[in-house]
Amino acid sequence: MNWFDSTVHRAMIEAATVGALGGVVGVLVVARRLPFFTMALTHATFPGIVIAALLGVDLYLGGGLFGLLVVLAVVALSRGRGQDFTAATGIALSGGFALGVVLVSAQDGFSKDLTAYTVGDILAVSTGDLAATGVVAVGVVLVLILLGKELLLAAFDPTGASALGLPTAVLDFVLLALIEVTVVAVVPALGAVLAVALLVGPAATARLLSDRLAMLFPLAAAIGVGCGVAGVWVSTLWNVAAGASIALLVGLAFGLAFLGSAARTRAGRAAARRLATATGS
Amino acid sequence: MTGPTENGAAVAGAAVGAAAGAAVGAADGPAAGTAAGTVADVAGPPGRTAALVLDRASVAYGDVPVLEELHGTVYEGEAVALIGPNGAGKSTLIKALLGLVPVVRGRIEVLGTSPDRARRDVAYVPQADTLDPDFPISVEQVVMMGRYRKIGWLRRPSAADREHAAAALEQVGLAERARHRFGTLSGGQRQRVLLARAIAAQPRLLLLDEPFNGVDAVSQHTILEAMDALKGRGTSVVVSTHDLAIAHLACDEVCLLNRHQFGFGPTDATLTPERLRATYGGHALELRGDRVIVTQT
Repeated sequence: MNWFDSTVHRAMIEAATVGALGGVVGVLVVARRLPFFTMALTHATFPGIVIAALLGVDLYLGGGLFGLLVVLAVVALSRGRGQDFTAATGIALSGGFALGVVLVSAQDGFSKDLTAYTVGDILAVSTGDLAATGVVAVGVVLVLILLGKELLLAAFDPTGASALGLPTAVLDFVLLALIEVTVVAVVPALGAVLAVALLVGPAATARLLSDRLAMLFPLAAAIGVGCGVAGVWVSTLWNVAAGASIALLVGLAFGLAFLGSAARTRAGRAAARRLATATGS
Repeated sequence: MTGPTENGAAVAGAAVGAAAGAAVGAADGPAAGTAAGTVADVAGPPGRTAALVLDRASVAYGDVPVLEELHGTVYEGEAVALIGPNGAGKSTLIKALLGLVPVVRGRIEVLGTSPDRARRDVAYVPQADTLDPDFPISVEQVVMMGRYRKIGWLRRPSAADREHAAAALEQVGLAERARHRFGTLSGGQRQRVLLARAIAAQPRLLLLDEPFNGVDAVSQHTILEAMDALKGRGTSVVVSTHDLAIAHLACDEVCLLNRHQFGFGPTDATLTPERLRATYGGHALELRGDRVIVTQT
């Protein structure tokens, strides 16, 4: 019997790949302060995947195309009078998710399908899905290696990048496209609601452990892979949902890193105090 | 400080010692001896190359004109201070010199060509506090960004690039902070890092946007020294500032701005109480002996 014939083995490979991918892209998401936008993207790919399932076309393609529409909608909405990027993102998030729920609820077997779409079904991953995720991961890393320094400059100092003659609008679009393809790769495994955990959690955790950009990428990837594989293992051990187990472990890793850094630095202590006040009130 | 007029341009000209290259815009004739300080058509002695020519230039964001009828010339190795209240259009002029804001009337010539084309020889230093202090980037990575233009797409920094970056950081006195995260430095130190990034680019024209705002004395001194060193190598400097003392100390020319130009010429001759009063709207000035103090900016 082939090693890949095992559902659990396939799920572990998938979890490791999306964990690494989410971790690496997450470094840029966190550095550019785009977690909320990323969350909107994950929710808004949901109707795209539902429509693709209804039409019987490729789920990745459906989710990807719909996500692209959402990127354009957010950009267009945030250019309106008195609108800002956050408000436009919030509207896209709830609107996209609501559309997905409406579409699913029009079908039979509503609650079972809704669960698969919203919290994912990583144990159902096929060898073809694995290949698709792998291709996305290799492509994303390749783009990051080739355009890394320009993306970095455009992220850190957009005016300085324009002053150098770099096409900042193109670089911004490349960044959003990288996030988008990553979202499309992660959503089938973790679902529309939980996918954001892998795109923000490992990078935010790594950010607590290191200040150095060169360290953040491998660190975030390692945390993503660790949480992904461990999550699948925990889910088979205790027979609980795999996607939720992964998201929980990501949250646990962040919590531990946060407590560790809070104990280490005065700034960390101040932040913990702020959080305590915020949650206590 | 607001004294006679005979220093200024002539001194800077000697420091440049430019080879007998073709003089752009020298046909206007020398402006020496104009006691009141010429407002427009400032042309230096022949034999010097113009780094910056403003020819009745107006700059606008869309339909809204921001700056109108700017006129003046800055030569190689000279520094010009942009003086004016907040909202006067100083930052907009700097962006126009980078080709990021369009010239709607007249002409701006940078290093003998259009601002767009001159960009590869122009370095821009933003205000340090406009950049995210939480961004996970080290001091040496910021300085290396000055080399990106020379490195080009898809390539990695070479040993020579790393040497240039290290030397630039040394010049602003922050070599030992290379591995620190940019955001952990003080405001003045961050401003010096951004200046080092510009030095690493080996520009022929340096644009500084309010580099002395909220900066400690050591950093101010370091920035002034670095400006002098660059001028000595023939680099021209455009610096926007509220500080008239710095304009007197470090700049050969001043450009008084508030939507319009209220004066452009040698520093001591141009920074007169009358012109400053006109630039700042009359009420924002205080005169103490021969010193002019801007009380409101």
